[in-house]
Amino acid sequence: MNAISVQNIQKAFGGNMALKDVSFEIPKGEIFGFLGPSGSGKTTLLKILTAQLEATDGHAAVMEMPSRMMQKTAQKRRFGILTDNSGLYERLSIEENLDVFRRLYDLPKSSIDQVLHFVNLNTDRKKRVSVLSKGMRQRVTLACAIIHEPELLFLDEPTSALDPVNTAHIHKGLRYLNERGTTIFLTTHDMTEAESLCERVAILHKGEIRAIGAPDELKKIHRDGTLTVELTSGEKERLSMDEDSAAAIAGWMSRGQIDRMYTNELSLGDIFIKLTGSELV
Amino acid sequence: MNVSLKRIQAIFIKDYKEFSRNYAVSIMIVFPIVFALLYRTEAGDQAAIYAFIMNFSLAMLTSFVQACLIAEEKERNTLRSLMMTPASMLDVLIGKSALVFLISAAVLAFTTYLFGYETSNVLLLTAALGISILLYTAIGTICGLYSKTLLEASLSVFPVLIIFTAGPFALSFEEQYPFLEVLRYLPSSQLSELLMAMEVGAASGDLAKPLVIIAVWTIVVTIISFVLYKKRLMDQ
Repeated sequence: MNAISVQNIQKAFGGNMALKDVSFEIPKGEIFGFLGPSGSGKTTLLKILTAQLEATDGHAAVMEMPSRMMQKTAQKRRFGILTDNSGLYERLSIEENLDVFRRLYDLPKSSIDQVLHFVNLNTDRKKRVSVLSKGMRQRVTLACAIIHEPELLFLDEPTSALDPVNTAHIHKGLRYLNERGTTIFLTTHDMTEAESLCERVAILHKGEIRAIGAPDELKKIHRDGTLTVELTSGEKERLSMDEDSAAAIAGWMSRGQIDRMYTNELSLGDIFIKLTGSELV
Repeated sequence: MNVSLKRIQAIFIKDYKEFSRNYAVSIMIVFPIVFALLYRTEAGDQAAIYAFIMNFSLAMLTSFVQACLIAEEKERNTLRSLMMTPASMLDVLIGKSALVFLISAAVLAFTTYLFGYETSNVLLLTAALGISILLYTAIGTICGLYSKTLLEASLSVFPVLIIFTAGPFALSFEEQYPFLEVLRYLPSSQLSELLMAMEVGAASGDLAKPLVIIAVWTIVVTIISFVLYKKRLMDQ
């Protein structure tokens, strides 16, 4: 069963095509990463999936409903969304901000305690949002997005501009949510984030999907078929994977001359550059 | 129509907390009270001065606060976050408007008490002020929707303040400048006329006309504000 199904989506802004014939499916329970630099169409697609924008052509279904239905009250309860510019009420405390969302979702008061525990802000609950660090704000925004335990969570560059400690904390929380059954759709331009979190990724460039699959699969597909052997003498040998190389490796190994050996795989960032010619963060 | 009392209440409570802690906006409740204390009089022109205070307060308090509440949500991207929850556009608009209505009603009632204005027809006065609060709330909504920031919103209310508050006074130049006749149909001018008519014990027909004109203004501007509200949210 698919949480998201996108078929031949196109979106034009005036004469500019922001999305060109984009198709993919995300099964329920998956963490899926949508990778691409700023302006590649990631946020446009996210807005189409959450009914903030209408596609020019094609079909998108979210939790087996047409995506345009996602602004209906019953559907809004099924998903959560966190964007890098999601706003918080500055003059209210963390707890009061969450109380707004609790009331809007008609949840019991205990939901605030649970979500505060989840984002590790229980002791700071009385602090006003205006005095919080960027990392803490992002955790509060995440708490607002998941207080109703959504089936599907949309995250638009959730850790942009966060330090590694806060990023790691948010990643930990997202994995925990996913283990509890939440499907996560993540857009990012951070390759490390995609590799550490996502089961599958799609690489988007200029509105087109250039590659889709598990990070390891993509690396296998795009590896160059060579391996590097580092010898104890300090030399590095780059070998093709054939019989002659096997004989050479056997010889070094019998003489105890191999320090280490590895296949030459590209990183996700390298794969993106290879596919699109664009640099990523 | 997707409206929920619980969600309206959530917006109302949230806005009340924000309003009470935003001193730049909540200070506005002081102006009508100060004006009432400064201008309280038992002289013959009591109705005219009272009408000025009410017209000033409706623009400076009701429209200003509503415009600021809406502009701030836009400025801080909280309106978008709200629209991703089960809250509908109507929930948000009604929740905000209800808060502004109650604050305005309470302040205007207290101002009336401090000023010492007495009328033979409390029901009619209440109706006229109630309808006017709705009208100025709708005007504030429009000002807020066309403002990107809180600062812009506070500035956008000044034309409303000047036209609607000064309008009734400009009518004294009507003989020299006949085109000023148009100002007679401003809701503020009609409120002044209504209060004057009540003062002299005019017939019910004379009392009904200003009330109807204010009500027509309110209906038209409220519809415009709803349409613009929906359109502006969709455009963002």
